Amino acid sequence: MQMQSIISQGKNIEEAIHLGLELLEVNKRDVDIEIIQQAKKGFAGLGRKQAIVKLSLGGNPSGAEPTAPEHGNTPSMDEFIDTFLESESPKAADMAEIEQNEANDTVEMEMDELAGKAWVKDSQIHVKDSPNKYATVKIGEGIQLMKNNELVTEKSTIVSERDHLMLNIKPLETQYTVWDVRVEKDKLSAILEVKPGFKVERRVRDIEPDEHIELSVEETKEVTNTLKYDQVVRMLENLRVIYGINHNEIIRAIDTTEPGTFEIATGKKAEPGKNGWIDLKVETDPMNGLIEDESGNVDFRETNVIPSVEKGTIIATLHDPIPGRPGITVTNEPLPAKQTHPLKVVAKNGIIEVDAKLVATESGRPSIEQRGQLVKAMILPKLVHQGNVDLASGNIRFNGDVEIIGEVEENMLVEAGGDVFIHKATSEATITTSKSIVVKGNVISSELSAGKNNMLVVELGHLLGIMHVQVEKMITVIKQLTTSPAFKSNDFSVTGLQPLIRILLEKKFYNFLPYVKQYQEVVEKGREYIEGEEWHQVGVSIKQIFIVLSNQVTTMERLTNLSQKMKELSDTSDIPVEPNSYITVSDTINSSLYCSGDINIIGKGCINTKVHAGGKLHVRGIVRGGEVYGRLGATIHEVGTNSGTKTIVAVPKDQKIQLAKAFEGTVLKIGKISYKLQEERKHITARLNDNDQIIFE
Amino acid sequence: MLKYNIVNEENGVQVTLHGDLDIEGTEIIKEELLPNLLNSKEVNVSFEKVPFVDSSGMGLLITLVNSLKENNSKVTISNVKEEVFEIFELLQLPEILGEEVFV
Repeated sequence: MQMQSIISQGKNIEEAIHLGLELLEVNKRDVDIEIIQQAKKGFAGLGRKQAIVKLSLGGNPSGAEPTAPEHGNTPSMDEFIDTFLESESPKAADMAEIEQNEANDTVEMEMDELAGKAWVKDSQIHVKDSPNKYATVKIGEGIQLMKNNELVTEKSTIVSERDHLMLNIKPLETQYTVWDVRVEKDKLSAILEVKPGFKVERRVRDIEPDEHIELSVEETKEVTNTLKYDQVVRMLENLRVIYGINHNEIIRAIDTTEPGTFEIATGKKAEPGKNGWIDLKVETDPMNGLIEDESGNVDFRETNVIPSVEKGTIIATLHDPIPGRPGITVTNEPLPAKQTHPLKVVAKNGIIEVDAKLVATESGRPSIEQRGQLVKAMILPKLVHQGNVDLASGNIRFNGDVEIIGEVEENMLVEAGGDVFIHKATSEATITTSKSIVVKGNVISSELSAGKNNMLVVELGHLLGIMHVQVEKMITVIKQLTTSPAFKSNDFSVTGLQPLIRILLEKKFYNFLPYVKQYQEVVEKGREYIEGEEWHQVGVSIKQIFIVLSNQVTTMERLTNLSQKMKELSDTSDIPVEPNSYITVSDTINSSLYCSGDINIIGKGCINTKVHAGGKLHVRGIVRGGEVYGRLGATIHEVGTNSGTKTIVAVPKDQKIQLAKAFEGTVLKIGKISYKLQEERKHITARLNDNDQIIFE
Repeated sequence: MLKYNIVNEENGVQVTLHGDLDIEGTEIIKEELLPNLLNSKEVNVSFEKVPFVDSSGMGLLITLVNSLKENNSKVTISNVKEEVFEIFELLQLPEILGEEVFV
């Protein structure tokens, strides 16, 4: 370890040691002290010698140290003499002072009082030395103390009258008033931001003589907000702000002494309007399926309560949309209110639209179906079929409600436009309707489908949603390309976007075409069920742009129009149809049930049946074998088999499965995650947690 | 207007395109250049002198490379300017033609 040592000088030995210890920031017992030179009093500064000591860290006895100064580690004597000589000149002044003191006893007295103290007067620091202590100075914020032309970087220091001391501060600081006006992005307000100017004058605070003094700054701040009213007005003119100017705020802003923001002009927001709406004047909702009474039993007779109207009855009144009120920007431009949409009414089969009213022209059950702004209204006639549907009666196809008092036998078909109500069983039969199905008997090896049109719309809407996102991405890429420095877009006018689209479909959007094909297939398959031409028209547009790559030039405009149409349709399909279809059956075996709304199985249960509910699935009995799905959740009393026949209960990822009892081997599927029960479980509710794991609540 | 020159080298053919690869180059590429290259086993196309491309031009490039590949020729494209390559990447041309084509 290298010995650290310094050489220190002072008026006498004491002072030299004291200064040295200060410098090393140690105590006296931590160092070895070697006296190099004793102080000598000269005359008038001549021949006077300072005391010089050597302080070494490490605590070794001084005797073990070589007496000669180590030139490698310590400043040489010559250097010391130099510094000593340099600090000679102030000494002359000292001497003069001393002479003066000798001349005047009273001053001597005063000087004695001041000994060891420092003070500040008129931004100057003064010190009077004392033989046994030093005055200390703490340096406050904003002040620089120069000691012998060097900046003191420590927070505090000791001073001596031999030091050449100077105080530096920033005496004057001025800042002009800064301000700006900006019009907000929505142009509904203009904001004035102002920082008033100021002038700060500073001096070092006077301090009475003391042994420890703290230097601090005294400052006077004068705020001058030079902003003038007409400056603001001129700025507003430049920004073309003419509407909704708040004169009071401008005055507050020019008077303020604090920085702040002021809304000096305020526009008017557009008020939203209301879409067209329908007011129903009669009861149209049939009892939704079979309803349990308090004791949990179901009264099938209740389902016969179906509303009906006489000819000439007003079924509903239609209201035009109420347009919103446009707003005004601060630059006096109109802000259009969000567009409101009228009802789109399709009145058919016994209902006509007169003077914004829907009127029945036939007696029967009114059916009002609404999806967004689309209203379908009709009077559903009712067919009551006495007895069984069999080879003798033939298949039943009827655009209205159908009630069958008997059974539906092997290979027979019932197709209805309204609700289907079957009093007895169906076996190996097909029942299809766009509304609801109720079967009181067993459903054996049959196919039941309710609300197929709704399901198709949901499916198509889903596909369009996916394609819409991709088309939007394509548009972004094309826009990005056209701004690329090395890209020429003049062939667009000749060929349109087709060559580009062809390349994009090749790789970047390679999975787009399968969706297009799937869409075409669904539209084709469901042609007779899908109501509304738009679904078909969008299909044709998609085909022209992406599959046929027809001669018709595809412009950016055409692409954006298509994208917008896709979005609209996809959005409509998200709006649930009111009222939705339902299927309610007692028991079912080896069948398939397909419904856009809820499915209730209220008897003993469901065996080896495929069930797809677009709404909630509720089974009061058992589910043995097969696969059941509830898009809005599944509640089942008992599920699975002892024998291990595969039974699957499925819901989407955001839904729950509730089971009162589940056998070992039952498969629960939530979203894409499957879980096979390893043991029999009772009263479980399964859902996905945030990590996509199936958990039981 | 697109021009090109062909140099027969020891291990194949070196093609250098001059000018913008755009719709105006359709005939030149399809009816002159492509038939000319069908006898070569190895072709390198230099894009050093191609400052701009358009969508038809890229279509042509895909046709050219794919036709030569079907013909069992080895095709490479070299010295593509940075700005032009940005466009190729945006359209994932390296994935379409095969990463190994760009050298």
